[in-house]
Amino acid sequence: MDALGNLLLGFSVALTPINLFWCLVGVILGTTVGVLPGLGPAATIAMLLPLTLKMDHTTAIIALAGIFYGARYGGSTTSILLNIPGESSSVVTCLDGYQLARQGRAGAALGISAIASFIAGTIGVLGLMLVAPPLARFALRFAPPEYFALMVLGLAMVVFLAGESMIKALLAMLVGLWISTIGTDLFTAESRFTFGQMKLLGGVDFISATVGIFALGEVLVNLESRGGAEIFKLAKGLKNLLPTFRDLKDCRFAFLNGSIVGFLVGALPGAGATVASFLSYGLEKAFSRHPQKFGTGVIEGVAAPEAANNADAGGALVPLLTLGIPGGNTTAILLGGLILWGYKPGPLLIQEHPELFWGLVASMYIGNVLLLVLNLPLVPLFAQILRLPYYVLYPLILGISVVGVYSVNNSLFDVWVMGLFGLLGYLMRKLNFPAAALILGMVLGDALERALRQSLMMSQGDLSILIARPISGTLLFLAALILCLPALRKVRYWRVAAIEREA
Amino acid sequence: MKHKATLATMIIAVVMALTGARVWSQEFKPSKQIEGVVHTGPGGGSDLLARAIAEMLQKEKLISQRMQIVNKSGGGSAVAMAYLAEKKGDPHTIGFFTGVWVTNPLTSKEATVTVKDLTPIVRLILEPAVIAVKADSPYKNMNDFIEAAKKSPNQLRQSGGSVTGRDNLMRLLIQKATGAQWTYISFPSGGERLSNLLGGHVQMMVIEPQEAGEHIRAGNLRVIASLTEKRLPSLPNVPTIKEQGIDVTIIPQARGVLAPPAASKEVVQYWEGVFDRFAKSASWKQYVEQNQFEDGYLKGPPLNKFFDELTVLMRGVLKEAGAKVVR
Amino acid sequence: MNLNKANLISALCLGAFGIYVISVAAKLAYVSEVGPGPGFFPLWLGIGLVVFAACLIFVSGSADANREKGKSSSWRTGGRALAGWLALMVAIALLGRIGFFLSFVVLTIFLVVVLDRRPALLALGVGIGLAVAFQLIFVVALDVSLPKGFWGF
Repeated sequence: MDALGNLLLGFSVALTPINLFWCLVGVILGTTVGVLPGLGPAATIAMLLPLTLKMDHTTAIIALAGIFYGARYGGSTTSILLNIPGESSSVVTCLDGYQLARQGRAGAALGISAIASFIAGTIGVLGLMLVAPPLARFALRFAPPEYFALMVLGLAMVVFLAGESMIKALLAMLVGLWISTIGTDLFTAESRFTFGQMKLLGGVDFISATVGIFALGEVLVNLESRGGAEIFKLAKGLKNLLPTFRDLKDCRFAFLNGSIVGFLVGALPGAGATVASFLSYGLEKAFSRHPQKFGTGVIEGVAAPEAANNADAGGALVPLLTLGIPGGNTTAILLGGLILWGYKPGPLLIQEHPELFWGLVASMYIGNVLLLVLNLPLVPLFAQILRLPYYVLYPLILGISVVGVYSVNNSLFDVWVMGLFGLLGYLMRKLNFPAAALILGMVLGDALERALRQSLMMSQGDLSILIARPISGTLLFLAALILCLPALRKVRYWRVAAIEREA
Repeated sequence: MKHKATLATMIIAVVMALTGARVWSQEFKPSKQIEGVVHTGPGGGSDLLARAIAEMLQKEKLISQRMQIVNKSGGGSAVAMAYLAEKKGDPHTIGFFTGVWVTNPLTSKEATVTVKDLTPIVRLILEPAVIAVKADSPYKNMNDFIEAAKKSPNQLRQSGGSVTGRDNLMRLLIQKATGAQWTYISFPSGGERLSNLLGGHVQMMVIEPQEAGEHIRAGNLRVIASLTEKRLPSLPNVPTIKEQGIDVTIIPQARGVLAPPAASKEVVQYWEGVFDRFAKSASWKQYVEQNQFEDGYLKGPPLNKFFDELTVLMRGVLKEAGAKVVR
Repeated sequence: MNLNKANLISALCLGAFGIYVISVAAKLAYVSEVGPGPGFFPLWLGIGLVVFAACLIFVSGSADANREKGKSSSWRTGGRALAGWLALMVAIALLGRIGFFLSFVVLTIFLVVVLDRRPALLALGVGIGLAVAFQLIFVVALDVSLPKGFWGF
């Protein structure tokens, strides 16, 4: 098979000592950058671009790509241990990951995260290798109506994040959607809800809001009681510091789900890893035998989103390498790098520079193995952080939050925003409003509104465009189904209750 | 007698030179790290260009200190411009401007600084643009597209960036000049603009030749007009829009360097000197050619005039576009 | 305060917020020449907020609400949390003036001494230790700039 021959060529390139070395450097740097909230792979890659001019180009892309997908491994560490999302795509991991840590299973969560990332990362590379060109062509069929339908599907996941009170989840989601409208309207350049603040013209910074709600909110809730030393149990013994075979068995669907959803969503330009992780989490919960346990510390709730955000990295490289179209911020920088080194990314890149593409693909297999080997042994080490007495831990969390948020834009304003969202997170916890629904609204609101308005512009105001097109019609139908599920369940419940009463 | 006179003249000349050296040439030399302000986040177009320029400046040893790129994104260019204005009197900060720095304050009342408040140093390049359609579309030249648009008004679609950006403004100017009408759909990311064109969901877009280059080579895109005064060297067979009979003002997309407000003469002289030598350097010339930019080197009073004229032009075009002009 | 009352208050707040959103959205264009305008989406959001807030009021009024599980909010201990939050906001305000290092130490001292009633010396140790660690990791190793006081750190 042609792919096999090319892959061998790729390995011959990737296994040279210098490429191996820079692959290692890239993934280590990526993991480190991913762990720390605020500092992201995009900024790191941009800073390192000038240095890459002196390298061989294949080596350079291997290193930079290593930073890109390596960051997806690291992002879950602080999410699980401290409830601080290290990357925006790790927000969903906070939901169950942190709960697992509180139950003394931090090691299992971290370990599953690494394993899921490895499996998904590898599947992502497989996908990149085997189906990149046809997938890219399929992705081109996604126009605004399809994006709208996808976002609606994502929002339908609110149903699954609802917990007990659907109304509160919907209210939280609406507030999240409102937050996403803050800023400059793309289509008319008018500003909305900016309260006259120049710094809000770009909208509320996502990291400020999520770190505020999750990390700060959690600290504030814990501050209520003195003597919170019981909060973090750390189970002793190696057995509890790593996932058990039972855990691995429970997660087999999650691995697959996350990999496929992540890869497909990653291949759509504009849809990001955060969307992929929410979708995968929702899907996992939908098909789980114990959906109500999600959010209280279910291991699949960590495996699915972590797999999704790693497969997404592979997917995001599909449009970049087959069409020269960047899918998001970080791939845009990689594109800039390719242009800087004199390549012309486009449909002919793979044909004309096979050693670049296949060398990169092969190095990604190697990189994923390296990351697994690096991350797994570190799990027990990281888990020790939870041994710290809480009067060290809380200032530590606050400090990391402030530094992380500040470092995104060197902006004190963002830190203020984080503080306000911290109060919001605390109030939501006390009043039992699900924070995940709000975050979902924030993530999807922007894209949802945009896609709707773009679709209506395309159809000159005709709403039927959304159902007339096959792909968007199908996705909307699925969303409607999902929204009806709880109603159907309730109907069944009433019927069963009615039958029982008659008996 | 003659020797004494020559000696005296020489002594006077030397004394004058020495004292003159202390009084007149109080040259500025940077003594600490330089900050280059950009209005996009890391990886945005301005950011990558600024980093490349910083790298080239250091490589060609044109500045003695390191230059660090500072990202101040938000509100278009508002945050970056406000930051630069705060640095008044600081000779170690410069800003990399684009056309957005001129137009953004015109439409955004939250912006506090206009380009007139800042000190212009140099304009480096003009970014040309072309009009591209899918290769298998029936439009072989601009007039084909215009005719089709006239036959079915508002049925054809163009993908582009923000409504106050060059893409849309050129569309409005062309619409006014030809009487044709077609819809404009904003996509924030360049990738989506291109993918929608390739997917056939929109019929046309304004794109930079460097972005389109590979797709033309692969046979996916066709360029039907260039939005420039003269034909582009990389696309010699593509007629300009004016050559095709559509007389519109070409809105320039300029990039260059600005300094904080009221920068002193010595500081301006220093930076002008640096970029003077930079513009002539081999690595910059190669970069310009690689990226298919147009050399737009301009400094001093003509640069001031350029900003004034551009502001007036943009104000007029924006008003016609229906945008709320607040300045 | 039991959960019902808390639900009622939050529903009222959200309802009021929804009305605010509607009022601002009404000032923006509902339809622009290029399709739905900037006011379209926020208007419907505001309406949704008011509608669901009303539902929440209705539901909390009825007996069903007692089925909602979860800790009933005890607001007495909330005072500690709010004090902690205020301390954080003060620290953020100080960030710009006295720099990260000192504001962090101040915040830590407050959290450890006032909220936890531990010895001041311990607080000082923890605060300075962590602040030094932050300096080393972020400023020195990662070249991230943190707010500085006029003494350079």
